[in-house]
Amino acid sequence: MFILVTGGSGSGKSEYAENRAVELWGREGRLIYLATMYPFDQESHRRIARHRALREGKHFTTLEQYTGLKNISVPLGSTVLLECMSNLAANELYQPGGAGEEAAAEIRAGIQSLRGQCTHLVVVSNEIFSDGIPYDQETQRYQRVLGEINRYMAGEADQAVEVVYGIPLIYKGMENKGKP
Amino acid sequence: MKFVIGGAFQGKKSYACQIFQIEETAVTDGTVCDRDAIFQAEMLVHFQDYIRRFLGEEEFLMELPGELLRRNPEAVLVTNELGYGVVPIDAFDRKYREIHGRLCCALAKEAREVHRVICGIGTVIKDAAV
Repeated sequence: MFILVTGGSGSGKSEYAENRAVELWGREGRLIYLATMYPFDQESHRRIARHRALREGKHFTTLEQYTGLKNISVPLGSTVLLECMSNLAANELYQPGGAGEEAAAEIRAGIQSLRGQCTHLVVVSNEIFSDGIPYDQETQRYQRVLGEINRYMAGEADQAVEVVYGIPLIYKGMENKGKP
Repeated sequence: MKFVIGGAFQGKKSYACQIFQIEETAVTDGTVCDRDAIFQAEMLVHFQDYIRRFLGEEEFLMELPGELLRRNPEAVLVTNELGYGVVPIDAFDRKYREIHGRLCCALAKEAREVHRVICGIGTVIKDAAV
């Protein structure tokens, strides 16, 4: 099962995605949290700490991968929660060693590689497309890349969910609902 | 508690007044009201501005969802949805967006009904009675 979980900032999408991953895992194989946020300042350390606290006691093994998703290997039969695509896309675009112009293609290949290895994949992404602020060209490029990846994932996914203040709105794959 | 959310200028207030049969003149405005007016309001609009004004009072805000349920369980709360953009450069804006989101998650969890309004049209995305 491949589930895309998206939503705005502070929408409760992480907590929802974690619960879905734990539920899919069902104690079969490994439960892996694939963290993509590069801790570049105090605030990101705080965000990471908050997410760690949220995951505590949920049996996740944490792996960190900031770029080059296709190079990662996970045990066959794992359930993987990747968080967050918005960070991975930014890393590929802007970090030294990232794919730069090829970011979207690189990430698509990474998703395909992961899906070939794990049984269940849950990807958290982010809605950054509708605040009406005129961003500079560089930021627009980032929005375009993430938009492209989100559309690709939604096309491939068994289920696509937007979380709105903790409430899941299921746009694709109603039959794969999971627990309310 | 009932919660009405949506983007700016989507007709959230008119929708809420109609659905919950509240006169527009009886509505409390979160942009200008006293801090404790939220506990008496039949309906409070611009909840996002209310949060922004009292962002410095973190303790008060953390307890707000519980207090509101205890003291004004029938309130209708109307807010803009925030957080659908690129991470703001300004630290205050990031904090505002974050705290508003967390409070809205807590409120939506406790709300009996959550309505999401777009183009004046509401969709019930949570109804505890169903």
